[in-house]
Formats: sequence, C-alpha cells, structure tokens
Amino acid sequence: MKKEDTVKLISAEGFEFVIDKEAAMVSQTIRNMLTSPGSFAETQDGKVTFPEISTTILEKICQYFYWSLQYARGKETDFHIEPELTLELMMAANYLHT
Amino acid sequence: MTMNERKTIDLEQGWEFMQKGITKLKNILEGHPEPQFSSEDYMMLYTTIYNMCTQKPPHDYSQQLYDKYRESFEEYITSTVLPSIREKHDEFMLRELVKRWANHKVMVRWLSRFFHYLDRYFIARRSLPPLNEVGLSCFRDLVYLELNGKVRDAVISLIDQEREGEQIDRALLKNVLDIFVEIGMGQMDSYENDFEAAMLIDTSGYYSRKASSWILEDSCPDYMLKAEECLKREKDRVAHYLHSSSEPKLLEKVQHELLTVFANQLLEKEHSGCHALLRDDKVEDLSRMFRLFSKIPRGLDPVSNIFKQHVTAEGTALVKQAEDAANNKKVCICLFVVWEWLQGRVGEVTLATMEESPCVFESCDGGKMLYVLVFVRKVIELHDKYLAYVNDCFQNHTLFHKSLKEAFEVFCNKGVAGSSSAELLATFCDNILKKGGSEKLSDEAIEETLEKVVKLLAYISDKDLFAEFYRKKLARRLLFDKSANDDHERSILTKLKQQCGGQFTSKMEGMVTDLTLAKENQNNFEEYLNSNPNANPGIDLTVTVLTTGFWPSYKSFDLNLPAEMVKCVEVFREFYQTKTKHRKLTWIYSLGTCNLIGKFETRTTELIVTTYQASALLLFNSSDRLSYSEIMTQLNLTDDDVIRLLHSLSCAKYKILNKEPNTKSISPTDHFEFNSKFTDKMRRIKVL
Repeated sequence: MKKEDTVKLISAEGFEFVIDKEAAMVSQTIRNMLTSPGSFAETQDGKVTFPEISTTILEKICQYFYWSLQYARGKETDFHIEPELTLELMMAANYLHT
Repeated sequence: MTMNERKTIDLEQGWEFMQKGITKLKNILEGHPEPQFSSEDYMMLYTTIYNMCTQKPPHDYSQQLYDKYRESFEEYITSTVLPSIREKHDEFMLRELVKRWANHKVMVRWLSRFFHYLDRYFIARRSLPPLNEVGLSCFRDLVYLELNGKVRDAVISLIDQEREGEQIDRALLKNVLDIFVEIGMGQMDSYENDFEAAMLIDTSGYYSRKASSWILEDSCPDYMLKAEECLKREKDRVAHYLHSSSEPKLLEKVQHELLTVFANQLLEKEHSGCHALLRDDKVEDLSRMFRLFSKIPRGLDPVSNIFKQHVTAEGTALVKQAEDAANNKKVCICLFVVWEWLQGRVGEVTLATMEESPCVFESCDGGKMLYVLVFVRKVIELHDKYLAYVNDCFQNHTLFHKSLKEAFEVFCNKGVAGSSSAELLATFCDNILKKGGSEKLSDEAIEETLEKVVKLLAYISDKDLFAEFYRKKLARRLLFDKSANDDHERSILTKLKQQCGGQFTSKMEGMVTDLTLAKENQNNFEEYLNSNPNANPGIDLTVTVLTTGFWPSYKSFDLNLPAEMVKCVEVFREFYQTKTKHRKLTWIYSLGTCNLIGKFETRTTELIVTTYQASALLLFNSSDRLSYSEIMTQLNLTDDDVIRLLHSLSCAKYKILNKEPNTKSISPTDHFEFNSKFTDKMRRIKVL
C-alpha cells in the first residue's frame, strides 16, 4: 500500500492501525479532518489519535470500514458484532459519525 | 472509551480549551507566526465538543456551546474585522473587505468542523439554523449590513472609471460582487437589491448623459459605432466581473438610453440618417443599424418605413423618367427611327416623312419599345439591388420583405404614358422571347431575366390584364413563327404557373400545345391529299387549326377570297369532316400569309404577303387598273382595312402597286395599277 493512500489510526493504548484512506473516509469525522482547509495532508502523515477509543473497538471499527465499502459495491454479507462490544462500539460510532 | 472513565467536563474548563483553539485559528488567519493545526489538535477540539454535548444533563452544554459558537464570531468581527474595514476607503476598503470575507469563510469552515457534533443532532432537534449559516449570518448582520452601501458606491464608481477608459482591478470587483452573491445564501436578493438596482440606475444615468451629447455632435453612423462599442464593452464587463444574471438587464438599460430614447432623432438626422445611408448605399452602416435597432422593442418599424419610402421614391422616379421619355414626341420619333434601323427597315425614311404620316406614328411600336425596355430593365435592377439589401443588411427580416413588397406595389402599378405596367411587362417579355428582339442575350441570361420578370409580376395588381396582353403577344409569336426558342416559352409558362396558379396559364399552355397538334394535323392533311387525288387544292396549303377557347378572339371578316383560295378552303373542310364531325371551323384570314410569285418586267420576285394583300393583288390578274371603291367592293372589307392594305402595297417600302395620284396617303378617290416596273435586288421580299 502506498504511503499517500493510507492513514494511521492510533488507539488509546497506542496501537497503530494502518488502513486505506478510502476506508477511513467512511467516518465523517475522519473525513472532515482529512479534508479540512489548511495544511494537513502534506505536512502530516495522516496520523489520527483516538485517546478515548480502545484497541479492540478500534480494530472492529476498521473492519467495519472495509465491510461498508464492500457492501456498497454489492457484496452483501453480514457483519457480526460480539454483544459485549456493542455499547462501546455504538458510542465510538457516534463519535466518529459513522 | 468507557463511560466511567470519562470525567465530566465543566463548561468553563471546556470552553477555555476551545478558546485556545479559536485563538490559534485567529492567529493563523491574521498571518501571525503560528504552527498549523495538527490532527491531534483537531481531534482534541472535536472531542471536547463531543464530550460536552454527550454528557448527562445538567452537563449537557449543547445550547451553550451553540451560543458560544455564535459569540465567537461576533466578538471577533466586532473587535477586529469591522474596525479594519471601517478605517479604509474606496478601493482599499474593497480589498480589505475581500480579505476579511475570505478569512471569515475559512474560520466558519474550521469552527463548524470542530463544533460539528452540534450539527448532527442539536440543531435538528431545536430546528435551528446550521452552523454554517450561523457563521455567515454573523458576518452579514454585522459587517454587510453596515457597509454594503459604501461598498456598492465604491464599486459603482470604479465601474464608471472603467467606462471612462481607466484600468481597474477587475479581479477585485469580481471578488466583491461574489460576496454580494454569497451573502444571499442561495438567494440572489442581496445582490439584486443591494447592488444591482443601484448599478442599473447609475448605468442609465451615465449613458443618458453620454447619449445626449453624442446625439448632437455625431453623425448617425458614428453614433451607431459608439453605441455598438458600448454594448460590447458592457457585455464584456458582465463576463469579467458582474453576475451573469445582470446581463440582460444591463444591456436593456444601455440600449434604452442609447437607442430607444433617441431612435427617431438618430434615424432622421439630416445628412447621415437612414435616408442618407440608403441614398448613398452605405451597406455596412445599414447592417449595423439593423443589428442595433433589432434589439430594442419596435425598433425596426421606423427603419423599415424609411426603407419603404426610399424604395418607393426611387421607383416612382423611374416611372417619371419613362413617362417623360414617352411623352416627348420628338424623342419618340427618334426612338422609332433607331428602332426601324435596328430592324433593318430604314432606307429613305426621314424625320419629315415620319411626321407627315400619322398612321406610321400611331403604329409606332418601336418608339415605345425602347423606353419600355429601359424602364423594365431598370425596375428589375432596382428590385435586385434592394432585395440584396433585404437579404444582407437586413438579414432577411420579414418586416423588410414586407416593406419592399409594399414599395414595389405602389409604383409598379402606375402606368407609363397610357400603358399599364401589365402591358409594359408583357411587351418586355415579348421582346425577349421573339426572334429579332432587340435584346441579344445568352440562354442563361434569358432564363434569369424571365425569372425576375415573373417576380415583378407579383407586385402588379391587375395580373389578369398582364395575362391578356401576354396571350395576345404569344399568339402573334406562335402564329407568325416569331418565337425564338420553344424552351424559353415553356419555361416562362412554368414560372408563371408556379407564381400564379394553373388557372392563369392554362389557356397559354393550350396555345402552345395547339401548335404542336396543328403540325400533326397538317401531316395528316398531307397524307389525305396524297391518298385522295380528287382532293386537290391546287396550291400548297398549310392550315393551323386552333382551339377557340385558348386563343385571343380575332375578328373574322367575310373576305371575298379569290377563286383559287376558295377551292383550298373547300378541300380542307372536307378533310376536316373526316376527322371530326362535331366541330365548326371559322377561318381567320387576317392572320394568314401568302407566297406570291410576282412576274415583273425585270425579273420575277417572290412576295411574302398577308392573305388580305394577296387577295388584293390577285384582283390585278384580271384587271389592270382598279379604283379604291372597286377594290373595296370586291374584297368586301372595311375602309380601315382597305386603307391599310393599299398603303402597305403602294406607299410603303415596296411599291408593288402604283397609285394615282402619287400622294403619301390613301384616299377613296385613288386609283391603282400593277407596277410592272417594280424591282428589288432581293428575289424574295416580305411585304407584311
């Protein structure tokens, strides 16, 4: 994966998830940030820290991004969510506007 | 993120944090040295807002944050933005405004991203305007409302400067006007009410002043050039910095002030107005006039009127010219002489002899002929010229076609010297179509001319009169074999048919067909003669049978035919009976011709004469000398016919008969003798 097409999402614990920009843009919040006016993309290397999102959740969210893209392209599969993650996942989703 | 871990953020605390971010943003916008926002900064700010809005009440600070958002703008604008614009004037003020507006938009964008969470739920729940709108409306209420008047005046004054030829910063104006548009937030009312209306008034005033001075100083073409230039520049102006919706309104104002108000004065300018342009054939200026006046309401009406008047005047002048030529007797006689010379008949004719013999002058077709030709040719030229004008300068506009038509209708229906225009046209056609016509033209030229003549026919109101004249002349051509070219005859009939309908040409077509049938008939007659040795007319006979309805009516007199000819008539009648039983033959001797062999002393000469002449001459086979009355009785003709007949045989070019007394005119007391001494270098002469 080329450097320019990716973003790094960092969880509260410091785990780094490198995903495609396209996938990350599923989140409105991330999209807003990446497309803000000003000098973002060039100076930074597309790194976003989420001090309030845990690693497990963040991982699940990344999976969700990819699943969402696939679904939009027509591949209609199921997205399984472990019940104990649900609440936190919802809150994260709200935060990320996804 | 777990609920438990999160501390409740206090409003003051949270806001203090936000304020830092806002200040940083302001610094960046003001151009102060300040590092850019990192993604972390962004997320922190966003998260703060998020948290403050998702906290449980009473710590749900959505409403306060919404208000504080607005306040941030208001504070910034009142403290920094407004003063900086207020202190400047004119162009500098405009620049400052543009800069501040750009900054403001950036600020709105950033802050609404930070506060984005409010947009998602809060505003919808409370039906409040979204953050974007709030931000823009702050600017509008604080800055725009106060300053738009000054801004507008500054812009208008720059526009006027540009009109006077100065260079201005067009990009700046574009940016300023974009503010007017954007501040409307989707509607154009701000632009229209706060700027456009005043701009239009100013434009009207400007051009009204200019027009007032130009109309006095400049000639019509110069004024029009300036007007066209102004319109072009204003259009350019719209393209560069005004909003496109202004274009029609702006152009309309300019046109009104420059053209509509002064339309009449402009057109009627003494030496350079519409009349003068037409008179001097200023095609380019007329085209410009058309282009300009076609844009204003009812602008073309006066122009087309003047055009119509002009064409009518020119046409009427032609009519007068022709009239003068015709009425001048001496001119006519000269023309007659010229005409006769063209026909090859001028020998011992002098002006004196002409004046003395009235019937010569009466039947002076030739004298009339030339002025007819000239007149019709000139009318055709006039028509060509102004049709070209209508097509080129006036871009084929119906109004001008109409004017042209009306103009021609006026003068084309004026007769000249007693002949109606219908007759003139028919005579003109006859001249082109007959053998020995004075116009020697190529086939193409003939076709073209016929085409144009038919077009002119459209303007003549008594078209049936034309048909009558044409028919008479066509009959002469056909019967005396004077038609130059069959194809042209048919071609013009086709054209007439297209223009005037089948009814118009049905008889004429019948005439042409009759001749073809007649030839066939003649062949049949000859076969009949060959197969019936009893039926022998004794003379070579050619008969042309015509259908009565098609041909003009000819008077047929009961000429007493010489015995030889009577036999012919009988034989043919018998033949015709074999062909059809239910038709009646009426003989028109006045149209016939005869070839006689005249045995004169010096030599025998073949004479081509009319049947009447032949009958008269044959009388002298049995008598040497006859009186006027004897001839008249024997032939059974009227006085007029006899006089004409005897004149042609005794007083004209060829003296076949000697007259006693030897005067130039026939009187009932004259006597006639066969002139055996007659001689001519030709073996075969026409005495028709």
